[in-house]
Amino acid sequence: MEKSRMGRFLWLIPLGAALLCAWYVGRDFVFAGPTITIYFQNVDGLQEQNSLVQYRGEKIGEVETLTLTPDRQQVAVKAKLDAAAAALARQGSVFWIVRPELKPGSVSGLGTLVSGNYINVQPGNGALTNAFQGAEKEPIEPIQALDILLLVPKLGSLQPRSPVFYRDVQVGEVTACRLSDDARAVLIHARIDDEYAPLVRMNSKFWNAGGLHVHIGLFSGASISAESAQTLISGGIAFATPPDYQSAATNGAEFILNDKSEDAWEKWSPAIALHFVPEAAINKTRVPNLNPK
Amino acid sequence: MNRLVACQTCGLVQEADEPPPGSVIRCARCHFPVYHRRRHSRERTLAFSLAALLLYFPANLYPVVTAEYQGHHTETTIIQGINSLYLHKQYFISALVFCTSILSPLVKIIGLVFITLTLDWPRWKKSRTWAYQIIRIIDPWNMLEVFLLAIGVSMVEMGEIATVHPGRGVFAFSAVVVLTLLATLSFDSRLIWDASAEKKTYE
Repeated sequence: MEKSRMGRFLWLIPLGAALLCAWYVGRDFVFAGPTITIYFQNVDGLQEQNSLVQYRGEKIGEVETLTLTPDRQQVAVKAKLDAAAAALARQGSVFWIVRPELKPGSVSGLGTLVSGNYINVQPGNGALTNAFQGAEKEPIEPIQALDILLLVPKLGSLQPRSPVFYRDVQVGEVTACRLSDDARAVLIHARIDDEYAPLVRMNSKFWNAGGLHVHIGLFSGASISAESAQTLISGGIAFATPPDYQSAATNGAEFILNDKSEDAWEKWSPAIALHFVPEAAINKTRVPNLNPK
Repeated sequence: MNRLVACQTCGLVQEADEPPPGSVIRCARCHFPVYHRRRHSRERTLAFSLAALLLYFPANLYPVVTAEYQGHHTETTIIQGINSLYLHKQYFISALVFCTSILSPLVKIIGLVFITLTLDWPRWKKSRTWAYQIIRIIDPWNMLEVFLLAIGVSMVEMGEIATVHPGRGVFAFSAVVVLTLLATLSFDSRLIWDASAEKKTYE
């Protein structure tokens, strides 16, 4: 081969090598996503350089370092996010650590036994930012719903996520349980899904529907029943609305949680209009908009 | 000027002048072409070794293997591998891998770049000779290719126990192996002493 022709091709090789190096460097520094710091009380299960940050099941970043804060009250988790996920680091974004949870009536996160604990995120709406306060557990979705309070002398088998039933259909769940301020009763916070909110009226009656109902009568014999398998473990609440129902309950409305229902309540059957969006109307075949603002 | 040349194919030492440009000399015995020098040795060696030097850094800084095993997601660079061997008290092996896969190739690449770059400056002839001697001595210890083979084998074997993928740096690493090989093949050591004798252009 003549010298000049080979010369031209030959110098493409070091040039290509230099471009490749530049690409390696650029990919890490220029095109990388932001590094954010999340403060957690406890980072048990997280590993440096190993644990992932995920969103909707997809890896969007990696934990780089774990350091105790100077006041030793929290641990600063430095995580590097992918460039594509930079928009998730906003004010109002909530980060929490997903761990395996095995409690009666509440089993979740078992995949982490194999894959390792990871950080999940619920993005917020504010300005982009770099420092976050981590949450201790998954935030309850801030969906439109009705939040009510139930008072009961003793908690019994109720716990967060215990279901709330109307006519044996689950219409909501318990979100939190705590002692009242004067420690004489237990306050149960329950959330009723938005679609079913019209069912709850100011004179609705609530009762504890968990566990077994055992009914033994001289002539009727014994009957044992339960609302559902879940209520056997985690308890449940049922309610009914009388035919002469009053105005719809508002957020924060308080009700007494009765020990069991009265026969009359089970027979109530008022007609209350509920508005459901039919499945067919939700257009699931449309391609999502890939260029959100 | 009469020059003695050994045929690269059959080894016959014969007298042969430089051929005029565009033609080749054929061996008296086997009739295969005989070249006085490896062609374009300086340019080729410089290009390959320079490229190898450039890619040497990403090859060692970026992971060559990524593995997912029982929830652990690990990315390993060569240096991390050596470090982990050291931490497991395998001092001899970690030193061996370090010398044959990091030190020795680097010395060779830098040596070749140095020699081919300074060919025009006769003052550096002694240094070039030294560099060449060092390259010759450490040449048997250049085990970069063997390392690549070992990585490849482990990637296939471990595929059943863990999920193993080639890492980001594996392309740079393979490129360094190939480029070092090509640079070594292109290098004609007589270049070191040619330049001082007389200025000639070799085809």
